[in-house]
Amino acid sequence: MRLRDVVIGANASIFYRLDFSKIKDVFYPHTEEEAEQAIRFARERSLRITVKGGGSGLSGACTGGNDERIVISTLWLNKILRIDPQGGYIDVQPGLTPDLINEALKPYGMKFYVAPSSRDVATVGGILSTDGGGNDTWVNGTMRDNTLRVRMILYDGRKITVTREGVESEDEELAEELNRLRVTLDDVASSHGTLGFVTELRLQIRPLSEESVVGGVAHFDDATQLGQAIHRMIEARSPIKYGEAIVAAHPDVREDLRPPLITLQFPGDYADDLREILDIELLPDEQVDRMKDIRIKLPKRNPKQGIQLALFEGYGLHGRSLLNMQATVDAINELLESHRYTPFAKYGHAPSKWYLGDNTAAYGMVMHSREIRPEHTTREEVLNTILDIVDLCEKLGVTPKPEHKWPFSDTVKLNRLREIRRVVGGGFNDFLLRDDYREVLRSMV
Amino acid sequence: MSYDRCVRCGSCMRFCPLFEAREEEQWTPRAKTYLLQVMDMIEADEELGKEFRRLLFQCAMCGRCEEVCSSDVDLLEIWHEQRAKARKEAPREFQYLDALRRAIANVKNIYGLDPEDRAVFWMDEIEDDVPDIEERVYAPGKRAEVMVFLGCLMSFRASQLDVVRALFKSLERTGTDYLVMGAEEFCCGHPLHLMGDDEGAEELRTHNKSVIEDAGAKYVITCCPGCLIQLRQYHNIQNAEVLHHTQFFDRVLDNPPKYRSETEYPYHDPCELHRISGVKKEPRSLMTKLGVNFREMDLSCCGGGGLLRMTDPDLSEKIMEVRKRKERLESETVLTCCPSCREQFLAAGIDTKDIVEILDEAFEQEELKE
Ligand SMILES: Cc1cc2nc3c(=O)[nH]c(=O)nc-3n(C[C@H](O)[C@H](O)[C@H](O)COP(=O)(O)OP(=O)(O)OC[C@H]3O[C@@H](n4cnc5c(N)ncnc54)[C@H](O)[C@@H]3O)c2cc1C
Repeated sequence: MRLRDVVIGANASIFYRLDFSKIKDVFYPHTEEEAEQAIRFARERSLRITVKGGGSGLSGACTGGNDERIVISTLWLNKILRIDPQGGYIDVQPGLTPDLINEALKPYGMKFYVAPSSRDVATVGGILSTDGGGNDTWVNGTMRDNTLRVRMILYDGRKITVTREGVESEDEELAEELNRLRVTLDDVASSHGTLGFVTELRLQIRPLSEESVVGGVAHFDDATQLGQAIHRMIEARSPIKYGEAIVAAHPDVREDLRPPLITLQFPGDYADDLREILDIELLPDEQVDRMKDIRIKLPKRNPKQGIQLALFEGYGLHGRSLLNMQATVDAINELLESHRYTPFAKYGHAPSKWYLGDNTAAYGMVMHSREIRPEHTTREEVLNTILDIVDLCEKLGVTPKPEHKWPFSDTVKLNRLREIRRVVGGGFNDFLLRDDYREVLRSMV
Repeated sequence: MSYDRCVRCGSCMRFCPLFEAREEEQWTPRAKTYLLQVMDMIEADEELGKEFRRLLFQCAMCGRCEEVCSSDVDLLEIWHEQRAKARKEAPREFQYLDALRRAIANVKNIYGLDPEDRAVFWMDEIEDDVPDIEERVYAPGKRAEVMVFLGCLMSFRASQLDVVRALFKSLERTGTDYLVMGAEEFCCGHPLHLMGDDEGAEELRTHNKSVIEDAGAKYVITCCPGCLIQLRQYHNIQNAEVLHHTQFFDRVLDNPPKYRSETEYPYHDPCELHRISGVKKEPRSLMTKLGVNFREMDLSCCGGGGLLRMTDPDLSEKIMEVRKRKERLESETVLTCCPSCREQFLAAGIDTKDIVEILDEAFEQEELKE
C-alpha cells in the first residue's frame, strides 16, 4: 500500500474511513486513451472501477465502497476541446469545474449556467453523475438540463454516446438495445458512476446575461412563512435569478443575519410583483454579495466548540413538507437531538428544481443541514441516525433529492440503473447497487 | 485537533503548487489533513509513516491552502506542528537537515561561512557607490534610527549584490540614519522554524533582539520576507517597528522620481510577504508612485519556500517550470521583492529585479537628467 492509494479516499462525505487495502491502483489519465488503458487494467484483473472527480460529493459514491477496485481520477482530464458560441455549446473533458469553464468562456461573452456552491472543485463529470445544480436551477435547470451529450466508456471497453434523444455506438447492436430501453441523458444524470466512465461532455452555453438584477432580503417569523413564500414564488413562476434561504444558523456563524430569511436577486422591474408575494427589502449590491458570501461558506464553517458535519444533505422540501416547513424542520431537529446532534445550520437553494427518480421535476427548496456531532459516537449510531432520517423524510413527504445525495433510497432510479446495467454490464461502482450497501457504508463512517 | 475541522471539501486542491507540479492527490493539502484524520488506520504501516513524514517536507508552505479554506483550519500551523513531530519521531530520516542546523548553530548563517564575512562579501563591491558604508556597520555603542537586517541570502549570495547595492544607495539618497547589523547579525531562525525547530531558533532571536535594542533602532528593515516573519512575529523586539524595505520606502517617499521605461514587468508577490505577513499594499503603492508599468502575476508560489529547495530540489524546480510555462515567463524580467523568490527565478533562467533596484534606477535617471 502506498499513500497515493490511501489519499484517493479523501472526500467530503462522512464516509471516508475506507479499507485502503482494497484499492489496488490509482490512475490519473490525461487522455481518453489513458482512461481506456486504466479500464483495461481493471478488466484484466477483474477489479471494479470507481471514477472520482473532485471528491466533493456527499453520498460516499466516489469512494467505491469496499470492493477490490481501482480508482480513476479525472482531475487531469481537464481540457477544453471545443468552444462553439454560435452552436451554443462547449465540448470538455469531465474533470473541469464550472468555474474553470466559465473562465474560458468569458472572452466569448458566454456562460455555462450550472453553479453548485462547490463549483470551484466539483467536476462536470461528477455534477452530471449527481445531477447537481446551484441556486439558479429554478431558472437554469440542473446539470442534465444543461448537458447535450456525453461520451462514455463501458467496463468492456465499448464506447457509447448518449444524448437527450438516445444512444449511438459503433456497436450497433448495443445502441439498438439501449435505444429499445429508451436510454437517454436522463439515465446518466445521477447515475453515480454506475454505468461507465464519462470521458467527454457537450455542455450547453448561453450568452452572459446582460439583464441587470436587483437584490434584497426577506425575513420571516418562522419557517412555515418562508416555505409558503417559496411556494407562492413557484406558483407565480417568479423570475428569480438567485435564491438562497437560510432557515437557521448557529450564532457562531450567522454573523448579523436573522434567519429565517431568503436572499433573492431578480430583474428590477419585477420588484413590485415580488412584493405581492413577500416583504422584500432591497439592498445595495455589496450587502447582497456579503449575504451570498456568508451563505456559500456555511457548509464549510465550524462552530467555536465542536465539529460540524452533514449527516444527510439535500432534503427536498416540496408540496406539504414545504407548506408546513416549520413542522418539517422541527421534526428533523427533534430526531437529530434525540441522537445527540446539535442543529448547526439549515439553508439551501430556493426556489429550486430537482428531478425525482422517474425523471419528473420537483419544485421547492433543497435544504442542506449541518449538525454539530456529539463528542463520542459510534459508526453504528451515525448510520442509524441517517437511516432514521431517511424514514422520517418518507413520512414527512420530503423527497431527499434522492439520486443526488442518497442514491440508495430511490427504488425507481435503482431499478432503472439495474435494468440498464443488464445491457451495458457492471464493473463501475457496483457496491451502490448491492443489497449490503448499508453494511459497507457503516464500515466507512 | 485543528485538522479535524477540515471538511475535505477540496477547495484547496487546485491552488496547490505541489499538486500542479506532481499531479496526484497526495500532494494536496486536503490529502494531508485526510491522512491525519485517518492516521489511526494506517500508522501501523511503517512505510506509510515514512512516506507521510517525507510528504510533510514536500511543501512550499506558501499558505494558499489556508487562505482559501473556509473551515478555519490553521493549515500552516498544522504543517509546522507535524514537521516538528516528524523530526522527533524519526530523526534519522532528517539527517540531511543536520548540516544546515549545525551551520546555523555554529556560525549563525545557513551557508556555514565565517560569521565575520557577513559584512565583507558585499562591502568591497559597493564601496564605490556608498563610500561610507564601513561606518554604517553596527558595533557596540553605535546607534541609529534604522537597523538593516540583511539576512543570509542577501549577505552571502553574489546574485543578490545588485539588490544590496540598490538598497544602500536608496537609504543614502533618502537621508536615512541607518546601521547594518554586519557580523552581529545572526540567522533569523526562519529555516529552523520551517523545520519545526523553534527551540533551536531561540538563541538566535535573543541575540538579534539585543543588538537591535542596543542600537536604539526605531525601525528594523529587511528585504527578506522570511526574515520579516521571524523579526516581526518571533523576536519580540521592543520599541522598534519591523518593516519590509518596500514598506519603508513607500512610507518615506511621497514623490519618488519617475521611472522611465517602456517595459511592462510581471510582478510576483512573494507568498511570505503578502499572504503570511499581510504586506500587500506597499510594494504596489511604491511601484505606482514610481510609475512602473507592471502587471499582476498569479498569486502563486515560486517553489522556493518551506525549505523545499533543500528537502526536494527537483520538486521546487518543477513548480517553477510549470509556472514559467503557464505564465509564459521565458523572455520576461520579473519584478519581485524577496531574495529567495529571486533565486528561484534566476535558477530557472528568468531575469528578475527587486523593486528597490527600480527605485535606484529611477534616482539614477533623475540625476542624469539634472
Ligand atoms: C461545500 C460543498 C458545497 C456543495 N454544494 C452543492 C450544491 O450547491 N449543489 C449540488 O448539487 N451539490 C453540492 N455539493 C455536492 C457536490 O459538490 C456535488 O455532488 C458534485 O456534483 C460532486 O462532483 P465531484 O466532481 O466532486 O464528484 P465526486 O464526488 O468525485 O463523484 C460523485 C459521483 O460522480 C461519479 N463520477 C465523477 N466523475 C465521473 C465521470 N467522469 N464518469 C462517471 N462517473 C463519475 C463518482 O463515481 C461518484 O459516484 C456540495 C459539496 C460541498 C462539499
